[in-house]
Amino acid sequence: MRAVTYRGPGRVEVAEVDDPSIEDPGDAIVRVRVAAICGSDLHFFHGKAPLEVGDVMGHEAVGIVEAVGDDVSGFLPGDRVVAAFAIACGACWFCAHGETALCEDARSLGTGIFGGSLAGAQAELVRVPVADVNLLAVPDGIDDERAVFVGDVLSTAVHAVERAELRGGETVAVVGAGPVGWLLAQAVRRSPAAQTFVVDVEPSRLASVEGLGAVAIDASAVNPHVAVHDRTGDRGADVVFEAVGSPAAFERALDLVRRGGRVVVVGMYAGETVPMQLGVWWSRALDVRFTGVCPVHAVWERALAALLDGSLDPSPVISHRMGLAHASEAYELFARREASKVLLRP
Amino acid sequence: MAVFPSDDWLSIYRDLINASADYRDAAATWEGDIAFVFEAEPDRGVPEDLWAVLDLWHGACRTGRIVDADEAARSAYVIRAPYSRWKDVLNGELDPVKGMMQGKLKVQGDLATIVRYVRAANELVHLTTQVPTEFLDERPVASG
Repeated sequence: MRAVTYRGPGRVEVAEVDDPSIEDPGDAIVRVRVAAICGSDLHFFHGKAPLEVGDVMGHEAVGIVEAVGDDVSGFLPGDRVVAAFAIACGACWFCAHGETALCEDARSLGTGIFGGSLAGAQAELVRVPVADVNLLAVPDGIDDERAVFVGDVLSTAVHAVERAELRGGETVAVVGAGPVGWLLAQAVRRSPAAQTFVVDVEPSRLASVEGLGAVAIDASAVNPHVAVHDRTGDRGADVVFEAVGSPAAFERALDLVRRGGRVVVVGMYAGETVPMQLGVWWSRALDVRFTGVCPVHAVWERALAALLDGSLDPSPVISHRMGLAHASEAYELFARREASKVLLRP
Repeated sequence: MAVFPSDDWLSIYRDLINASADYRDAAATWEGDIAFVFEAEPDRGVPEDLWAVLDLWHGACRTGRIVDADEAARSAYVIRAPYSRWKDVLNGELDPVKGMMQGKLKVQGDLATIVRYVRAANELVHLTTQVPTEFLDERPVASG
């Protein structure tokens, strides 16, 4: 089959690789109809996280079940499904308590040795372990392009908003208006929060969040700390979502939150560090909540329901639809921030 | 009248610090230069971050000048805030120590040491009010 393979920092290539096969009775093989490039794929693309040359990339996919192992009871060949980007065992204490991202055997598609050396989903076929846990049936009313978001970023946004425990009348700031930030701003609309500010520097992203009713704050034109404080009685926002995954964005989030407010850290981190004034954090009574990897299995049915009732629609963040053969170009566009969300069709 | 911040402003300020008996007494054992970052506010006449350093030593100010970011980052203490927060400090509307504890002014370095010298900090703030100051966002706009 053809698959997007890692060739070294900053390089991917579509290559012929062996078809996946049922390796465990819980496995399913899914024929991919739409895969997507995620912001976290860039960590691997840039070589910041370990991949071996030849590893198949990607962890967001929707497709049709092609084959199932003997222990799979919930799916049959022909079923249309979305795969969980984080692969859980479904049997450990954490999985039983809905914290599937903290699974004792946590793995993820296309993330190399970091994620259990599972091949990625940017391919014609993908093997999904423990399929009864890690696949979700997609109802007819939802097309592939929207369904692919359920396996990762849409569920991530829904989970983050749930973690924030938003209350009526609260003000919200979102740092970063990439796909996750945009979906966060959309998901916040379903909460009792009163007003949302979104900070970014990209004009098209800022224009897009204004369409959600959020106040766009252009960090290249104003100081976000001042802009948010000016609009919140000089307190800062009640809740700040950090949707970038960089020390600068994390510190920005701390700048924007009010004393006693909540910072929900959604962006992905690996080896970064920040200086920490414990006394200041303590006296500000900051409540910093790291979402970590989204426990997608605990959230995705609610994300799917929101797609069905129309209260969430990720379609506007799709900037490019390309054939799998153009994956190299797609990654380069994405890395240059010239694409917000790229869908790949094998 | 000197523009805040500028080398002229810092020079006047340095002289005022060195003339202050109260500061000399309160900061008699202080050792360590402090960098101040005036964070950009493009809509208020501050297009880029500005950095200044005060070299404070045993109750005196040895130098005060605008520097580049690399030089300032080597200081024992770095205090950063948006320009208008600093303006609030100079206008007496924001207590700097309180501002540090509230996160309105961000500190790198040993905050506990700075807090122990609160009397010196208050005198430093008080002295800023004696510098004839023109703020960047209040300068007349050049025509033509």
